[in-house]
Amino acid sequence: MLDELEDFYRTNLGDLRRVATAIAGDRELGCDAVQEAFARAVRKRRSFRGTGTLEAWVWRIVVNAARDARRRRPELVEPAEPSTNGHAPVIPLDLLTERQREIVFLHYYADLDYAAIADALQISPGTVGSTLNAARRTLRAALEEVSS
Amino acid sequence: MNELEALDEYVPLRMETPAWDDVLRRARTRRSPRFLVAVGVALAVFGGAPALAVVLLHDAKPGLPSGADRSNVAIMLEPHTGRIVLEVAPWKGHDGFCYFAFFNRSGCVPRSHQTVVMAPPMFGWTFDPRVVEATATTFGGKPVNLLVRQFRGRINATFFFEAKRFALLRNIVLRDRHGHVIVRLRK
Repeated sequence: MLDELEDFYRTNLGDLRRVATAIAGDRELGCDAVQEAFARAVRKRRSFRGTGTLEAWVWRIVVNAARDARRRRPELVEPAEPSTNGHAPVIPLDLLTERQREIVFLHYYADLDYAAIADALQISPGTVGSTLNAARRTLRAALEEVSS
Repeated sequence: MNELEALDEYVPLRMETPAWDDVLRRARTRRSPRFLVAVGVALAVFGGAPALAVVLLHDAKPGLPSGADRSNVAIMLEPHTGRIVLEVAPWKGHDGFCYFAFFNRSGCVPRSHQTVVMAPPMFGWTFDPRVVEATATTFGGKPVNLLVRQFRGRINATFFFEAKRFALLRNIVLRDRHGHVIVRLRK
């Protein structure tokens, strides 16, 4: 089990950190959330019952750790004058709900299919599909509006 | 730009360096707060002295994070009591610092987080070297001066702090030595 966790970590580290960074809203917090999630998975590996896939179980822990990291994230203060070296994110993620964002990140960054996302977030595959479609529609509309 | 391109830009794919040893170290050393509470309660209930349980729980509070360079720790004292309210050390392998504040808040901060404030109690830092003064306002409108301490060297940041632990403050303003506003928290 420990070897399987290590394999999964080493093989998918890029995707894991990408998803966790996107959810946590910060690269350092996202990377830390992945480390913390795997430490948690190592500690609790005997509680994995095998009812779903190991991959989904780990993703669930990673998503939860990233959510925790985002909640603990300190409040950033705006400078009195606008910063010249910063740039706003191009993608209007504020238009999406938390659930929509998580599904989008798991689908695009980790390339998980509907069943795997459903397993990781403990929702039905149908809900994953409908939520993802709604999120795509929202993003496309917003991006078209920006580019026109 | 379509949503795929926008997502690619939002969190770009990088070459990542695995840190499996760090995972194992965290798994070995960190006990959950629930576990520590359970140990304390068990000791208190099953014959152990309640005071011992309290001591164990107290000892379990976090200190400086493991990423801190403990060979170079700076502290900030509360002037009236001499109590240590903050420990700060450079962050090993990163451009930033790690901190432990007396109210059990701790973490490591990259220099990209230019100015941060947390509350309650009011506590924060800035990497802007011009800041020498910090003020806030109570909800009743009374101005309050915050303690300010600059650490140079590898930490190279300025910290501000309100000693009254439960004071509810807003409108934090950081100023330079000429009184010019550098940062204003919009709250």
